[in-house]
Amino acid sequence: MQGTIDANRPDSYAAANRDIIRVLLRPSVGWLALFLMSTAAMIYGGWCWYQQLTWGMGVANVTHPNMWGIYIVTFVFWVGIGHAGTLISAILFLVRSRWRTGVYRASEAMTIFAVMTALLFPVLHLGRAWQVYWFFPYPNQRYLWMNFKSPLMWDVFAISTYFTVSAVFFYVGLVPDIAIVRDHSKGLLRKLYGLLALGWRGTGQQWHHYMGAYGFFAALAAPLVLSVHSVVSWDFAMAITAGWHSTIFPPYFVAGAIYSGCAMVITLLLPMTYAFKWHDYVNMWHFEQLAKMCLLTSGILTYAYGMEYFIGWYSQNPFEWAIFSWRATGEYAWAFWIMVFCNCIAPLAWYPRSWRTNPWILFGVSILVNIGMWFERFNIVVSSLAHNFDPATWWYYMPSPIEWGVMLGSFGWFGFWFLLFLQVLPAVAIAEIKEMIAAPVKGSLEAA
Amino acid sequence: MSTPVKSGSVTRVKGIYAHLDCMLTGIEKLKAEGLTGFQVLSPLPRHEILEAVYEGRPSPVRWWTLTGGVTGITIGFLLTSLTAIQWPMINPGGKPNVPLPPYAVIMFECTILLGALFTGMGMMVHTGLPGFWLDKALQDPRVSDDKFGIVFLRASEKDVERIQSILRASGAIEVTSGDDTVYEVPNA
Repeated sequence: MQGTIDANRPDSYAAANRDIIRVLLRPSVGWLALFLMSTAAMIYGGWCWYQQLTWGMGVANVTHPNMWGIYIVTFVFWVGIGHAGTLISAILFLVRSRWRTGVYRASEAMTIFAVMTALLFPVLHLGRAWQVYWFFPYPNQRYLWMNFKSPLMWDVFAISTYFTVSAVFFYVGLVPDIAIVRDHSKGLLRKLYGLLALGWRGTGQQWHHYMGAYGFFAALAAPLVLSVHSVVSWDFAMAITAGWHSTIFPPYFVAGAIYSGCAMVITLLLPMTYAFKWHDYVNMWHFEQLAKMCLLTSGILTYAYGMEYFIGWYSQNPFEWAIFSWRATGEYAWAFWIMVFCNCIAPLAWYPRSWRTNPWILFGVSILVNIGMWFERFNIVVSSLAHNFDPATWWYYMPSPIEWGVMLGSFGWFGFWFLLFLQVLPAVAIAEIKEMIAAPVKGSLEAA
Repeated sequence: MSTPVKSGSVTRVKGIYAHLDCMLTGIEKLKAEGLTGFQVLSPLPRHEILEAVYEGRPSPVRWWTLTGGVTGITIGFLLTSLTAIQWPMINPGGKPNVPLPPYAVIMFECTILLGALFTGMGMMVHTGLPGFWLDKALQDPRVSDDKFGIVFLRASEKDVERIQSILRASGAIEVTSGDDTVYEVPNA
């Protein structure tokens, strides 16, 4: 039995239902092209990983002293991308920011899929991927537990907690909207959406406890926004490696994560809004707020970049000064200056209001920010390891084709899930959009 | 979860509203007449409705959150410290075997994780989800669009007329009772 979605119910709140669910399960040519490209990239990444599993880690250029390479660069990049969703859905919910409503659902989905992508990299980087369960504490006959004093263990707990809490928060937010899709579907689809909606009916009892729980989810997720990338930064800052051992890292990483996450929200949602003609729900006002958020965090990052150099010079630590001056002038200077241009200079285009409300400039600069933030992590991870304390180990690391392929595959994996989400679930929170629409009243009550 | 109506002594009564203010008037009139025990239906969480029905009473879900958080921080501390004691050789830099600062990270993560999972469980318990077995009178797809509703699942036969007249007087666009309260899904 083939199901269909009937999006032709009339009436006022119903218009929001109609507009948002009408795009479901109606793939356009553009969507199909992007989906096929993502799937192809994902399959190619999988083939590269298969090569690595077959022939060993030698097919990747990670070797002593540059053991982390672009697997960890891309891991940190995706964790950073995963920040904006929970920032927008949890923190902006707690401060009752009105602009979150239109963009938070798609941002949350982006978070879930970005963290899913990030979680691939520790496994890929492990080499012996079948021993991934060693990451987690489990009783064993040798009484050998992991070292909880290690920041790598903190990271396992931080990211798995972040993923679990974000996923639960995302699904809880979706339940009333899936119920709407269920009520507009028939056949097999009605049954499938009915199962996903968990029998939601919009009773007062359900809304009362739902809203109580939602506030607590937001309150619990909010500190995670700040803690997750702080913990990721401790992977670096707890080491004595020059260029990493710095107390500025947690706020610097958190600001960078919010910056890259908000830029990615612009990159993903701007085309989506135009493709689905959702200007009544997501419009330039939302994108302007996101651009302002990027401007703020870009300023914090630029300050952090400058302060790293100042402390390197002012501390008179020769190793610190050596690595920072080498980053800007050595073999990896090209990566450093790409980072500076994309993260510090390009976003200045968003200062004039007329420019930051121009969709082409918004989109173009958001792409540059995404590129710049990947290079920031490349700059931190690769340059410090390539130019460590012992000059005998200095080495110019460049990723192998297999590593590039795996990285490309990660973008395909992310795109695959995000595009699937756009076709299957409401990408704008319908029940919350209704809160922004004037309630139907006969006259004795003020409109909302 | 409500019990399906079987006996003749009680019956369902349901009013569907097109306007929020009319339903709020209906709720107030029912309460003034001492007719409670009804469920409301709404397409969105309007604070006026929740205020009228629950009168500011907070959801007990908060106790689930607290229980989860306390359980989480306890598990975080026990997991880190007991495992360190069981294999006490890893002792970098002469630091104590059970140091609080590094373990605080794990304790924090466990607090948030179990706090969120318990909140989810509490929400499921109190909202009656999964609600596949909800009384059919509460399953009205018009509520997904823009209609509001008041439903008595077990109204006493002697109160039925009084409830119906209050619902009609407050502006309900449809008032039904008995088996008629079940709205047949048009496109199912």
